[in-house]
Amino acid sequence: MFGRSRSWVGGGHGKSSRSIHSLDHLKYLYHVLTKNTTVTEQNRNLLVETIRSITEILIWGDQNDSSVFDFFLEKNMFVFFLNILRQKSGRYVCVQLLQTLNILFENISHETSLYYLLSNNYVNSIIVHKFDFSDEEIMAYYISFLKTLSLKLNNHTVHFFYNEHTNDFALYTEAIKFFNHPESMVRIAVRTITLNVYKVDNQAMLHYIRDKTAVPYFSNLVWFIGSHVIELDNCVQTDEEHRNRGKLSDLVAEHLDHLHYLNDILIINCEFLNDVLTDHLLNRLFLPLYVYSLVNQDKGGERPKISLPVSLYLLSQVFLIIHYAPLVNSLAEVILNGDLSVFCYRSEQDVQRSSAKSSIRCFIKPTESLERSLEINKQKGKKRLQKRPNYKNVGEEEEEEKGPEETQEDSDKAKGIEGSSKGIKTSGESEEIEMVIMERSKLTELAISVVTEQNTTDEEKSAAASGSENTQWNRPFLDMVYNALDSPEDDYHALFVLCLLYAMSHNKGIDPEKLDRIQLPVQTEVEKTSYNHLLAERLIRIMNYAAQIDGKIRLATLELSCLLLKQQVMTNSGSIIKDVHLACLEGAREESVHLVRHFYKGEEIFLDMFEDEYRSMTIKPMNVEYLMMDASILLPPTGTPLTGIDFVKRLPCGDVERTRRAIRVFFMYRSLSLQLRDEPETQLPLTREEDLIKTDDVLDLNNSDLIACTVITKDGGLVQRFLAVDIYQMSLVEPDVARLGWGVVKFAGLLQDMQVTGVEEDSRALNIIIHKPASSPHSKPFPILQATFVFSDHIRCIIAKQRLAKGRIQARRMKMQRIAALLDLPIQPSTEVMGFALNASTSNQHLPFRFYEQSRRGSSDPAVQRSVFASVDKVPGFAVAQCINQHGSSPLSSSSPPSSGSSSGSGSTGRCDSVAPSSTSTPSAAQSPSDDPTAPRQLPLTFPDQVVIVNEIPTTSKSSKSLGKGSEVETANLSPSLIPAQQPTISLISDDTTDALSVESLTLVPPVDPHSLHSFTCTPQSSTQIETYKVTEGEIAPHAPADQSEQ
Amino acid sequence: MEAIWLYQFRLIVIGDSTVGKSCLIRRFTEGRFAQVSDPTVGVDFFSRLVEIEPGKRIKLQIWDTAGQERFRSITRAYYRNSVGGLLLFDITNRRSFQNVHEWLEETKVHVQPYQIVFVLVGHKCDLDTQRQVTRHEAEKVAAGYGMKYIETSARDAINVEKAFTDLTREIYELVKKGEITIQEGWEGVKSGFVPNVVHSSEEVVKSDRRCLC
Repeated sequence: MFGRSRSWVGGGHGKSSRSIHSLDHLKYLYHVLTKNTTVTEQNRNLLVETIRSITEILIWGDQNDSSVFDFFLEKNMFVFFLNILRQKSGRYVCVQLLQTLNILFENISHETSLYYLLSNNYVNSIIVHKFDFSDEEIMAYYISFLKTLSLKLNNHTVHFFYNEHTNDFALYTEAIKFFNHPESMVRIAVRTITLNVYKVDNQAMLHYIRDKTAVPYFSNLVWFIGSHVIELDNCVQTDEEHRNRGKLSDLVAEHLDHLHYLNDILIINCEFLNDVLTDHLLNRLFLPLYVYSLVNQDKGGERPKISLPVSLYLLSQVFLIIHYAPLVNSLAEVILNGDLSVFCYRSEQDVQRSSAKSSIRCFIKPTESLERSLEINKQKGKKRLQKRPNYKNVGEEEEEEKGPEETQEDSDKAKGIEGSSKGIKTSGESEEIEMVIMERSKLTELAISVVTEQNTTDEEKSAAASGSENTQWNRPFLDMVYNALDSPEDDYHALFVLCLLYAMSHNKGIDPEKLDRIQLPVQTEVEKTSYNHLLAERLIRIMNYAAQIDGKIRLATLELSCLLLKQQVMTNSGSIIKDVHLACLEGAREESVHLVRHFYKGEEIFLDMFEDEYRSMTIKPMNVEYLMMDASILLPPTGTPLTGIDFVKRLPCGDVERTRRAIRVFFMYRSLSLQLRDEPETQLPLTREEDLIKTDDVLDLNNSDLIACTVITKDGGLVQRFLAVDIYQMSLVEPDVARLGWGVVKFAGLLQDMQVTGVEEDSRALNIIIHKPASSPHSKPFPILQATFVFSDHIRCIIAKQRLAKGRIQARRMKMQRIAALLDLPIQPSTEVMGFALNASTSNQHLPFRFYEQSRRGSSDPAVQRSVFASVDKVPGFAVAQCINQHGSSPLSSSSPPSSGSSSGSGSTGRCDSVAPSSTSTPSAAQSPSDDPTAPRQLPLTFPDQVVIVNEIPTTSKSSKSLGKGSEVETANLSPSLIPAQQPTISLISDDTTDALSVESLTLVPPVDPHSLHSFTCTPQSSTQIETYKVTEGEIAPHAPADQSEQ
Repeated sequence: MEAIWLYQFRLIVIGDSTVGKSCLIRRFTEGRFAQVSDPTVGVDFFSRLVEIEPGKRIKLQIWDTAGQERFRSITRAYYRNSVGGLLLFDITNRRSFQNVHEWLEETKVHVQPYQIVFVLVGHKCDLDTQRQVTRHEAEKVAAGYGMKYIETSARDAINVEKAFTDLTREIYELVKKGEITIQEGWEGVKSGFVPNVVHSSEEVVKSDRRCLC
């Protein structure tokens, strides 16, 4: 604002009261322009500001007041802009003008206004204006101005840009001159512009582009891409210890950009542009540089070459990105069936050709620069123009004077007929293109002749696919591809070959027939009776290497091998794998089991790793496209994580990574083996999401052990909750307002990921942190719960701590045992699992527990007594609960005695856990100490206290202390929460640590909402389930006896 | 020059390529004739005041259009907001006369729901010796469409003023009779206002533009 008003003052007309957006203000600015037609040092700022303001008003007027643009028209103000631009007014004014024009064209919405601005070649004269392109800022504004214009291109407006006077398409030709600009933003803009141009479906313009610009542009583009490739190859060759990775990844990104751009052009599907582009790509880049380098690895020779891995890598990218059928088919044809003659017969033909140089299948630099070629073509065009100066008068007599082909062309243009691109053009420029097309069809013919020679029976196909014996097939490229899979030393080349095969088989453009000839089937193929044994065997060999302890096969390679093998042998009706191959695979799987066993128990965090690996394998399945974008795999495989290379793309380093790798290999083989045998996975993951208690589930908490606590979250939130401990989870519940004795889960977290620590200054408080399992092993674990739990006294605090700690150990122990089962290992004695030796003896050494033990013994309940004897290290909390029940008047049938042990529990989570059906864990008849259903209903807030009392009762003195006032009332209200539930019982808490696999059943009633209901099973069901389970999963059988013996 | 005007009419000049549309407009607005003229690319814009009765001035905004087929889709966009039009043909070019029907059909389609008051202009009447279209048949065609017919020459400045002022008068009468009304969102006719800034440099600008093409 200030700047603007000051400039008015500078202009001598300080009238800042005027509305900035108004016709009047525009008139004033116009006046300023007329007073300053010549740019000088003094008025430069004023002019720039004036131009800027005019644009602003115009855009405002475009939407609000049509008289604004009328005025602009009447005064022909656009011409002022151009005049200023022509005055070599210096970069400051230039930049402002370009910016202004950019904004103007971008924002004018009325087509009549836009058309006016585009009319009469004003814009073209700006486009061809010789700006100082060495100035970055001018360059940037210039190219984005062109981009803005290109966005306005359509079938109507193209005529403004395609100027028949100069036979030039300035917007396009000026833009492509910057195709290799060092600044990547400029190159991107150029590409956008060209794509916008190609999208316009105007035959005349496209003919012009093909005839006058396509060959120079595409040949230069291809050379530019090739130069990048050679630079990329150099970068790989000269690399030492991955120091070039940064540069390499830039170059790879560059190559990807190139391919995506080429693909963008190809998918516009402008036939005759595609013909030229395909020819150049194939014959000047892909074949002579990429494919040729596959077989000729010896250095020297005049032809430029790149190294084998680079060539494989880049070809994979080509097939992953470009799906244009004529291109990918020709390319695949050469790789799969071609021989070196594709590089020779070209030159034979060259002898017969006049313009030999232009079409050698060779990666060579274009003979002239793009700018020069465009200039030459323009000259040619001018000559032609002179021949028919009055093109605009189509239909006049002059037409007769023209050559026949031009007449044809003209009428073609005039009528807008979509002429077939090949037939019409016979003039000089198009000659070459035609020859090119001819060449291509010859290549295809060659391919077809190869096809017809081939037999079609599967056996012969296999023989053909295996290649080597059949000497009549000279296919050096394919041989090389297979050979690269053969190296047992490392998988440096193998990974690229696998990617290439994968990319080819997933390419939508490739004729399935072509792939079928080497029996590389398309994934969706239905009918198939055999597969490529040669390839399958090589894949299996890779898998065998991978299962060895120091196998140098990276996980990515292995995963890709598995993918390809599945693709080979899986059909809709199941696997067709030969027994001998399956046996090899089973051998490899066995091997992998041994490998994991080697590490089992070797690491404290084995369970976490095991689950992490499973998660990362299932959450992030291999994406070959992403894999092939990573430049780091271009460098020889390394073991050190310091490179920052993703774990799956390098070799393991250290024991932890070796363990992780072994686990991952095991998972892959397991999944492959199950799939090949058409069996479902029943044991992984160890914890299935659907078996867990989730937030907002409603549980029957009658008879469950609950500890009231206050949860203070990190952000200071303070809530009253009950802590309940399940087999795998701890949960925080809140009483259900609708039903007494039921609770709504407010939080549930896995015990195994929990950390419990005491709080030093407060003996009643615990710090509890539960981490979300990390999505990747390197990411920092994210805490889903981080809170301080405050209990009513230190006793309960200790109980809770104990219960949580034991729960954690048990949860982990159970999972470890299930892993052991997966690995066919004998079940470990429970106390030794993972070196956790926390058992009765240790806990008894703690004073509070002993004290507690005492108090329990004081109770007269025989059931409790029994349980105490049966298991010394009973979870105190549980015992207390029993005492309370005993204290009450009702018989204690609810919590089944621990020694009876079994449980229903977990049909879902732990099939191998539950062993014997419990006869005693029957639904309880009545548990509440004082059955008083008529007692006034408690507000949810007081509910915690009721249960607290339940836990309190054995030591009344303590309870009165901790509860303080109101304890009497609460005692009276105790009953409702303990009203018997007429439902099957289910366990929520395990009572007996010695019996790791049995779960005590406390009551958990299915909630009303069936959706939030867990698949808890009641006792009878669970027994049947166990039996069926034993039948299906033979390997788990050892568990049952073990468990029973423990009991 | 007092730029006070009663109405503003927007006119469009159409016709085949090379019949002399731009020259006619230039003669009318700038009073000059150029021997060599580049074909119009897209559209061009001119304006002039005409006095139809003493003291009653009408401002004409004139859209010049390219006659070439390839700009047809562009020029179509300008029909809708025009109240009047000069439909030109070249009296030495029979083809351009025959195309008059096409032009009228074309405008009819694209001007909906408005309509344009046309005058048929036989241009280049100075080249009487090369005449391919007789005045008589041109008048017949014009009458068939309810148009006036006038023969003009930009080079010799014959009837140029008359062609424009006659059309302007005709529209003015229709406006007075209420058969053409000013409508919101339509630029064909606008009622006048008195601009408070006088643009003394108007003529300068007008002459400037010539050299740009």
